[in-house]
Amino acid sequence: MTVAPVRYRCSHVTAYSYGEPVTESHLIAHLSPRPHPRQTGRMVRLSLDPAPAVAVDRIDWFGNPVTYAALQEPHRTLTVTAELEVEVSAPPPLDPLATPPWETVRDAAREGAETAEHVFASPRVPAPDPDLAAFAGDSFTPGRPVADAALDLMHRIHRDFTFDPAATTVSTPVRDVLGQRRGVCQDFAHLLIGAARSLGLPARYVSGYLRTLPPEGVADWRGAAASHAWVQLWTGDPAAGGCGWLDLDPTNGVIAGVDHVTLAWGRDYDDVCPLRGVIVGGGSHTLSVAVRVEPFG
Amino acid sequence: MPDRAAQFQGQFQAQSQPSLFGDAHALGYEAGPVYDEMVTGTGRLRPHWQTFRETHGPFDPDAMATRWDVARRLLFQHGVTYTAYADPAGVDRPWPLDPIPFLLPHEEWRAIEAGLIQRARLLELTLADLYGPQRLIADGIVPPALIQADPGFLRPCHGLPVPGGRRLVFLGFDLVRGPDGVWRVLASRTQAPGGAGYALENRVVLARMLPDAFRNCNAERLAPFFEAFHRTLSAIAPGAEDGREPRVVILTPGPYNEAYFEHAFLARYLGLTLVEGADLAVRDRTVFLKTLSGLERVDVILRRVDDAWCDPLELRPDSALGVPGLLEAIRAGTVAVANAPGTGLTDSPALVPFMPALAQRLLGEDLALPDVPTLWAGRAEDRGALLERLGQLVIRPAFSALGGKQRFGPDLPLSERQALATRIQAQPEAWAAQDVPRLSTAPVWRDGRPEPKPLVLRVFLAASPEPGGGWIVMPGGLARVSADARYPAVSLQDEAGAKDTWVVRQTPDRRAVQTQSAEPAVRDTATAANGRAGDLPSRAADHLYWVGRYAERAEQGLRILRAANARVVDDSRPGAAEELVPLLRLMGWLGMVPTQFATLPADHAPRGMRQALEIAAFDPANPCGLRSGIERLRRAAGGVRDRLTGDAWRVVSLLERQATALVRPDPATMAVRFDELATTLAALSGLEHDAMGRGHGWRFLVLGRRIERALGIAALLRGTGLAQGAGPDRPALEVVLELIVARMAYRDRHGSSVRRGPALALLLTDLDHPRSLAFQLDVIATKLGNLPKPPVTTAESPAADAAALVREARGLLDALNPADPAAVTALVERLDTLLPEVSNRVGQAWFSHAYAQAT
Repeated sequence: MTVAPVRYRCSHVTAYSYGEPVTESHLIAHLSPRPHPRQTGRMVRLSLDPAPAVAVDRIDWFGNPVTYAALQEPHRTLTVTAELEVEVSAPPPLDPLATPPWETVRDAAREGAETAEHVFASPRVPAPDPDLAAFAGDSFTPGRPVADAALDLMHRIHRDFTFDPAATTVSTPVRDVLGQRRGVCQDFAHLLIGAARSLGLPARYVSGYLRTLPPEGVADWRGAAASHAWVQLWTGDPAAGGCGWLDLDPTNGVIAGVDHVTLAWGRDYDDVCPLRGVIVGGGSHTLSVAVRVEPFG
Repeated sequence: MPDRAAQFQGQFQAQSQPSLFGDAHALGYEAGPVYDEMVTGTGRLRPHWQTFRETHGPFDPDAMATRWDVARRLLFQHGVTYTAYADPAGVDRPWPLDPIPFLLPHEEWRAIEAGLIQRARLLELTLADLYGPQRLIADGIVPPALIQADPGFLRPCHGLPVPGGRRLVFLGFDLVRGPDGVWRVLASRTQAPGGAGYALENRVVLARMLPDAFRNCNAERLAPFFEAFHRTLSAIAPGAEDGREPRVVILTPGPYNEAYFEHAFLARYLGLTLVEGADLAVRDRTVFLKTLSGLERVDVILRRVDDAWCDPLELRPDSALGVPGLLEAIRAGTVAVANAPGTGLTDSPALVPFMPALAQRLLGEDLALPDVPTLWAGRAEDRGALLERLGQLVIRPAFSALGGKQRFGPDLPLSERQALATRIQAQPEAWAAQDVPRLSTAPVWRDGRPEPKPLVLRVFLAASPEPGGGWIVMPGGLARVSADARYPAVSLQDEAGAKDTWVVRQTPDRRAVQTQSAEPAVRDTATAANGRAGDLPSRAADHLYWVGRYAERAEQGLRILRAANARVVDDSRPGAAEELVPLLRLMGWLGMVPTQFATLPADHAPRGMRQALEIAAFDPANPCGLRSGIERLRRAAGGVRDRLTGDAWRVVSLLERQATALVRPDPATMAVRFDELATTLAALSGLEHDAMGRGHGWRFLVLGRRIERALGIAALLRGTGLAQGAGPDRPALEVVLELIVARMAYRDRHGSSVRRGPALALLLTDLDHPRSLAFQLDVIATKLGNLPKPPVTTAESPAADAAALVREARGLLDALNPADPAAVTALVERLDTLLPEVSNRVGQAWFSHAYAQAT
């Protein structure tokens, strides 16, 4: 059965409120849909209120669209609204048992520039960790086909870990997530990345959205109505029997397909955070985020 | 590279008289089995040392001791220090300069120079490729892991343009010479190399200390190098063609950085503005300096902040040292940063094994100057050898951005070696190892004789100001000697000494003849900098204001201590014991002593005061004591060191030494020490008047002083109990008149009997007395009127508020009847809230330089 492509309208509203006037705000936004073979789309509108003095688009090192914006007049609130139209296609059918043994993928990973990028430590996923390697080792048994093992690891995270926004913050280390078995999509993505990299397998962080209403028959749909995160794990070159980067959503225990809208990918959260800002002044601040992703057409 | 020194040695031996024991023996100098820079293996003086030896004479302990003393005094006077991070007190340590220079013959130096320039070209091309097309990776010259595993490869810097055209503008290399006489590169410093300022300072001191030897050796001067570097900094300004004088700033992490002295020194020597990250702002993708009168465009940043800390928006979000939006300004091409962010990539030891291949690929040349042999565990072919020889190598983090210490394999116990091997196998790309270098030695003056000590030479290159991408090399460098023969002293943090390096020649360099051979003195740009209002960062104004306040507070505190001590020393003086009561009360009010002292009756006062003096003068933990006050003064002055004259900084350093030298002497000695401190403080105040330009910096300093003095007068009235009538008037009035230096003035006008009305008039309203409150308020009002209009950010105007508050205080004084006790009490109470508020408003108006935070 082939799944038809799905078109979405997305809106992402981020509202900051500051205790004292902010004299200067600088923002880096990864809020445009990233084009890739399964996704086309465009940013319909990116608006800031108050309006920015400067807004510049470019493509970052990882190939993601990114916008720099700056506000230079004193302000006490800031609202960033992004509106997107995206069409997402389903990934090709996967036969996990036909993928190469994971050790083969590991051994070639450091030679290619694109795979080497995602095999080493990164700011949020530090050096190889023996506990993470042991955790991954339960799925990556000797000679097991890489995609089969990867799906098993993803399902274990989905099954054994509790989705709990109160358990972690943006700066909770991966080790703590492993220890307490709780967290949110960002934590589970970092955990899966850290586990894969501890075995020498490339894995990268994907920032994006989930469709707001769960797909039919799914009751437990986590990470919608906010920014979502999942993982792409390298399963080997298609020419050598692999299926390239495999999209794994450990929070929902599924292969990311037509329900997932991709904004950006990088080594971890720090590379692709949807909205990163530095302000001068401002005192304390509060933040609210609302995301809607609805099919249309 | 042939050992040129050895060639010259042959000539030297043929010419000179054979000596039975050799020159080394005559010098009392026993070089070891390694290469010695002064004597040959047979103990002969190397020929390029001959002129030095002839001029300098033998290493006579007495003469050396005298010269050593001169050098130390010069270093102290110049305030040459570095801060040790590890030191919990954060104190500045004196810079350890050796009185014997390190000599290199210019023929040998030319070969080193050529090798360094080749390296500089190579590193520039390597960076251009790795931050650009990355053909080196695509073509397999270096593996992807070399950059992908290096946290110093800053992805936001990839593809960043290079305004000014030079990614590398200033470079450093650490060189060592092996037993074979060959110089090798131990480490590269490609992002923000430190030490050039120290090298220059060493030269200034040694050239003054050994003028004859310096002249006769025809040592090459350093000044032309710095002059050319200065021109380079202007030349790389992206907007240089529009005719405007480019503004070049030095970006420092601040006074707590180990090398802050050097940053301040270079700023002053090169005539640049020293700034911290919070002094800069990016608007419209352009960098500006936040000054008192608004934003001023910055064209070039010579940075001393490390790569990852330069921009919290795109690099480390937790950096408070950087400038948010800096990378975006570079991307827009509006500012040149020297060196470009990301250049730390080529500092990494992991790059070393690839250097010969890179030289072939990018230059088509062999490396002229070899590296100390280095293995990178990230390379399969190196890993085995590295693990096998772990016990013989220096193991270092493969990437400089990883941080972490180097480990000496031979020193590691077996268990630690095994643990390290496990770590290397788990993450091989993170480790590299070098052969332990056997360093050459040079004579170092220790315990009255020259001793051979191992040496590392840090050398510096700058991009040439001429078009064409050339390089210039500083003829000399910073020679570092380590106490332990096995460990090369590389970091400035190591316990080690420094030597001035002379590139010497037999005959004078014709190019240099027309200029005088001595190095120029440090340009005293502080006066000029203060006069350029546009360039006074608000943070610097803040520091100067507090220099004024703390200096005045120290003077007031010291005057109280002297008055108290005089009455303890001479307790037979009429009224002495009674006058100690208001003095103790005042000290308690000011927090100089615990409050129980404030209520001692006259018969207990003399004994209580002895104890109070100890607490107030000597206790370093007493936050309102003399020592803390002077420490605060030094810190405030340290934050604007580039803006104080050399004399002013010297006085501040002297104050600190005098204050810490106070160790519970008897009252008579204490009186002498207090007098010394008072003289030094008076010298500081004299310099403010006579040696500082009347710019805005000076106005803030004077404003701080006057506000503190006004606060002090109000405190005198309340603290002694005079305002409230807490005790008999006469002793309190005597004390107050003494403390405002008004006894003579009072007697001249009102005779010897002290009465309340006239005394309070002198203290409060007399405009002919420069220590009266009215006088302070008038000066404050004038200074406020002459300051630049602060940049207005909101509807409120704290500057206008400050002026209004001063007017209100002045009005209260005009209406005052000093003979009416109730009126005085009411006035003093009002002043107690009004005067501190003036200070707060000044801060809000001119110093509010909020720091950036990530959201």
